[in-house]
Amino acid sequence: MGQILGSYNARNVDLYMDDKPTFNHQDGFSFERKQREMIAREEDLISARIPPVKRDYCAHYLLEYQQCRYKNMPMLYRCAHEKHDYLNCEQQDYVLRMKEFERERRLRVRERRLVGVA
Amino acid sequence: MASALIRKALISNPNGFRKAIGLFYNANRNHWNYQYKPGPYPRTPEERAAAAKKYGLTIEEYQPYPEDMCYGDYPRLPDIGTDSKDPYYPYDYPDLKRNFNEPIHARQEIFGEDRYDISMRPRFPLWYQWMWFLGVVGGSFALYLFLEDYKFGRPVTAKQYPQEGPHYLFCAK
Repeated sequence: MGQILGSYNARNVDLYMDDKPTFNHQDGFSFERKQREMIAREEDLISARIPPVKRDYCAHYLLEYQQCRYKNMPMLYRCAHEKHDYLNCEQQDYVLRMKEFERERRLRVRERRLVGVA
Repeated sequence: MASALIRKALISNPNGFRKAIGLFYNANRNHWNYQYKPGPYPRTPEERAAAAKKYGLTIEEYQPYPEDMCYGDYPRLPDIGTDSKDPYYPYDYPDLKRNFNEPIHARQEIFGEDRYDISMRPRFPLWYQWMWFLGVVGGSFALYLFLEDYKFGRPVTAKQYPQEGPHYLFCAK
């Protein structure tokens, strides 16, 4: 319920699902943010035939998981940990996107307030 | 022909003499399709009376089809589907809901209980059915159009892919 109301009111600042952040990445931070790094190499992903939609920042876990599947077929229960790692990474990625959304919303609300005052 | 049929019936089922009697009876009465044909269209009152008598109707009941429909003197009977007939009446043929010598409607093959009931009285009138159909479909569509401006998604930004520029975590370097 809360998350629905959160995204519903975001339309007041013209922010919708799957929009891209528009502010500088350092706005509102007192420290320097750490950059996300891509661990898997593009050639490896192509070689493993990972589809482009899955070549995100968690692709190295997916690569491990697929290697495990390949080695242990058909005993796939042996890859439970690899799968868990991969899904955990995807979940954290989603949480990051939610954080970016909320940051974008708050920055837009703040900007609107400042413009209104001025 | 008739003797061949009787012989065949007797040889294929020697005990079925009862059936052979039926076959024998029908064959002797010479009931062939051309004999079921209606007579020519009645023009004079005498012809009409004769046709009414032939079909077992009174003169007041008898009414032929228009001549250009080519039904000859066959009577135009009221359009009553078998399904609409009283199921509790003791008919001579309960399966057909028909009495002996009762004239058959010209389109009886479509009015059977398993086909179409032309005289069906619908439980709900047609305007009522349309009202509910258009009310439900139109109401749903109106709701859909109204809610078009109130859509919302999940509170996430676009998925981050490494080739789309640098992305940052929420922790310090």
